[in-house]
Amino acid sequence: MPDSSPHIRNFSIIAHIDHGKSTLADRLLQATNAVSPREAKEQILDSMDLERERGITIKASAVTVWHRHKPGAKADDLETDYEATSDETGEHKVKKGESAEAHGDLYMFNFIDTPGHVDFNYEVSRALKACEGAILVVDSTQGVQAQTLVNAYLAVNENLHIIPVINKIDLPGARPIDVAMEIEQTLGFKAEDCLLVSAKTGQGIPELLASIAEKFPPPRPPVTDALRGLIFDAVYDDYRGVIVYTRIFDGTLKVGDKIRMMGTQRTFLVSDLGKMTPKPVRVKELGPGETGYVVAAIRTLKDVRIGDTVTHEHHPAAEALPGYQPPRQMVFCDFYPSTKEDGESSDFEDLREAVEKLSLNDSSFTFQPVHSEALGFGYRCGFLGLLHMDIIQERLEREGGVEVVQTAPTVSYQIVCRAGTDDIVSPSGQVLKKVIEGMPHYAPPPPGHVLLEVHNPAELPNPSTIMEMREPICRLELMIPKDKIGDIMKLVLDRRGQYKSQSFVSQTRDLLQFEIPLAEIIYDFFDKMKGLTSGYGTMDYEVIAYRPDNLVKMDILVNGEPVEALSVIVHREKAEHRGRALCAKLREQIPRHQFEIPVQAAIGGKVIARETIKAYRKDVLAKCYGGDVSRKRKLLEKQKEGKKRMKNIGAVTIPQEAFMAVLDTGD
Amino acid sequence: MALAAAPAHARAGSLYLHVPFCFHKCHYCDFYSLVDTRDRQAPFVDRLIEELAALAPSAQRPLQTIFVGGGTPSLLRTDLWERLLAALDRWYDLASIRAGSGEFTVECNPETVTPDLTATLRAGGVTRVSMGAQSFNRTHLKALERWHDPDNVPRALTLARDAGISRASIDLIFAIPGQSLADVEQDLDTALRLGVTHLSCYALTYEPHTAMTARLTRGEFQRADEDLEADMFLLIRERLAAAGLSAYEVSNFARPGEECRHNLAYWRQDSWLAAGPSASGHLAGVRWKNAPRLDDYLASSTDGFAPIVEFEPLDPRRALAERLMTGLRLREGLDEADMLDQAARLDHAAPARLRACAERHRRAGLMHPGPRWALTDSGILIADRAAVEFLAALSP
Repeated sequence: MPDSSPHIRNFSIIAHIDHGKSTLADRLLQATNAVSPREAKEQILDSMDLERERGITIKASAVTVWHRHKPGAKADDLETDYEATSDETGEHKVKKGESAEAHGDLYMFNFIDTPGHVDFNYEVSRALKACEGAILVVDSTQGVQAQTLVNAYLAVNENLHIIPVINKIDLPGARPIDVAMEIEQTLGFKAEDCLLVSAKTGQGIPELLASIAEKFPPPRPPVTDALRGLIFDAVYDDYRGVIVYTRIFDGTLKVGDKIRMMGTQRTFLVSDLGKMTPKPVRVKELGPGETGYVVAAIRTLKDVRIGDTVTHEHHPAAEALPGYQPPRQMVFCDFYPSTKEDGESSDFEDLREAVEKLSLNDSSFTFQPVHSEALGFGYRCGFLGLLHMDIIQERLEREGGVEVVQTAPTVSYQIVCRAGTDDIVSPSGQVLKKVIEGMPHYAPPPPGHVLLEVHNPAELPNPSTIMEMREPICRLELMIPKDKIGDIMKLVLDRRGQYKSQSFVSQTRDLLQFEIPLAEIIYDFFDKMKGLTSGYGTMDYEVIAYRPDNLVKMDILVNGEPVEALSVIVHREKAEHRGRALCAKLREQIPRHQFEIPVQAAIGGKVIARETIKAYRKDVLAKCYGGDVSRKRKLLEKQKEGKKRMKNIGAVTIPQEAFMAVLDTGD
Repeated sequence: MALAAAPAHARAGSLYLHVPFCFHKCHYCDFYSLVDTRDRQAPFVDRLIEELAALAPSAQRPLQTIFVGGGTPSLLRTDLWERLLAALDRWYDLASIRAGSGEFTVECNPETVTPDLTATLRAGGVTRVSMGAQSFNRTHLKALERWHDPDNVPRALTLARDAGISRASIDLIFAIPGQSLADVEQDLDTALRLGVTHLSCYALTYEPHTAMTARLTRGEFQRADEDLEADMFLLIRERLAAAGLSAYEVSNFARPGEECRHNLAYWRQDSWLAAGPSASGHLAGVRWKNAPRLDDYLASSTDGFAPIVEFEPLDPRRALAERLMTGLRLREGLDEADMLDQAARLDHAAPARLRACAERHRRAGLMHPGPRWALTDSGILIADRAAVEFLAALSP
């Protein structure tokens, strides 16, 4: 239906977390009668339980709704009280009265949901590539936050038209005028162009619907008759396999078509096409400008790359749509199965099954088997960020039913080594992966050298072979109350941050920009920042480059044995401080044993910090009489359960928390 | 009624009575007790007698041991003691106790013991007193919020002995904030000079919801260092063993033959009946606990039985877990063959796991070799940890 594309609008809602994105999405769906109030479960676009519990959206999805709009209508004329449905064929019908056209032209709104968190920036930008417009939501009580900016930048980079919306104006603390000024200050939109909305009460919704129709541009006309559809999301369904969400830019996709993924070169037969309204509705074809889902017997998410282009097998497009990048895993940690009660066999098989199953519906985390002397067999996993890591761990335990011991997260490093005839291998014998031109954050090593990737301090080759170590650097944006700027400056500079700029947001807040090593912010930085600003500060970050610094590997020895899972890469100047903090933390967390346990931090065999865990002497309750038996038994049963989460390293039992001790930076 | 859940022919050889009254709530104490502002002693005794009558058919004849704890049983008025003792005599067969092969202990606070009371107790069949001395050092007593005069301890013991109550035990507490090793030694010397044949020495325990724990949490004092506490524990064992009182349980010391038989019944998982608010009973694997509040206890009665707040039905796995847990606290330990036999009835692999666990403890010098699972001195110091290991070995 090429002639309908002038009335198609593809857009996303972007916002800082909790600024009301999901409520606004619900309200828009309701206002276009896509969902009845009864069906309007909170945050309807999110589908995973975990997402709903955490109040965040992880996977993007797209919903199509129809809306009548008279071009140029005044706000007073706007109405939304007609009924719209769609049948199996996707044909649209209007059931109220005899002349639906009297309500204006029929618009197809394709509303593409985006994840709200920085870890999922890549997914956000994929979703935005499928849009022409973005609604930027700002909470009228909170104002512009760091994530608002980062999301807005992403939308600007994609050349999207942006409608700024100030939400929650029904709240007593709303200050829409100030917030409009903040938006003007920070993003350059005119304050008077901001729409005032309450997603909760519905105030301002008709005006917003009108703006979507009037301000957002229609999809660009096709530039070729060959099919080109952008895959902007894919979800795994137990019954139908992978469901791909696509935005068609050129050509038409029909049921029965044989398609080819231009990146992976995999081919599939389209068995089903449809749109979510938000109920799934089958359609026979998807034309230029439209979005919808594709079912094509795709078995695993590994067969699909978000950002890839779909074309026809028999009439392929000459060129893929621009901009595919593989997701970048920035944070890594190991998962090991918890030691069982008998201290013997660990169920690595259960973990393997859980990890592989999870990878079916989240292709953005990577995993490879590892073996650690201390912890046995497990997986080294890569994540988009810390939140992503937490989500994966929780889902492994919840959905996979395995209990895992997780090591402290590290970032991915690049090392420069002399190029030889042989591959450079890690101490465990693994060949280290080369970083080559064209890969993200590549900067050429000196002639005669190679650039290698290391995700794990344990993988570092012999230090004498390492010329240089490079670490990921982020651009960090902080929105900070003015009276806390000094504290925040100190926090960032203490962590090797470099000040870049400071700019005015409002009477009370400034925007600070820094460059800082990712390793310095992945642990407790967010909590510290929140603490210093009494919760009012917000932050966002993006990795911009890898840069060399004076980095060293610090080993941790427990009872004289190096525990690779506890080793860290640190800045030389901070090593002693970190080593002392780490040893002190481990002393707290490793329970006393029957013998004294030295805990040492060492660099290249030289001990730089030491603590001693004294041997326990006494562990017995004084009284156990007739009335104490049940209570005491329960107490011991609980201790027994606690043992499950421990790991035996040589003769020492280390609780899971200890592996996170690395998180404590000692500040 | 919990007793109905036990096998029909089960009979308990022991009886525990709980008397909840106190002068003053001691700051470390988490037993159920109250400072009675209304006079509820008489209605309490009436109700207790009613319960004793109801429980009596489940008691062995003759009864082997009685223990009256609290609270402060010695706070009960003499006339009420007379009624209570008469009722015991009426409903239970006290022949063994009167003949001296049984045992009848009453807990006493030194300052409440009078010649009248000791005479009454003796006449009623009491054979043993357990005296709550806690410490002979006034500073340490104050730290525990105990206000009695330590000189009352010898006085009370003499009264009991004069009345013909031949056996006596003293309770001591150690690891009191501010207490040194020398202080503990002094308390032990004083206790030994008094000629007692049984001592209970308890490390001060910070029970949740006690005033002592609240004060600790507020930082009003520092608790004793773990190492010092362990040194005290070992010192006590050494000192008392040298004086002929060897440790037969984690916190209990006696001359041979002077062990508290009633408490041994607890630790050996024998059966005992329980009367009075908050008292816990055990009959052939079934456990129950009476409602703790005195008012509830007084107000409610089903055929004389007390209202019950906790009930655990027969469960062989739980019973074995409890037997392991309490048995490991005893010098005599546990009979390996018996334990393996019981474990085999739970699952066929359990005996092997338990045997391996015992073997680990033996190799580490924590358990004696031989046909019994008995912890060594260093093993007793960590009996809880050992129990956790054995419990873990018990589960599949």
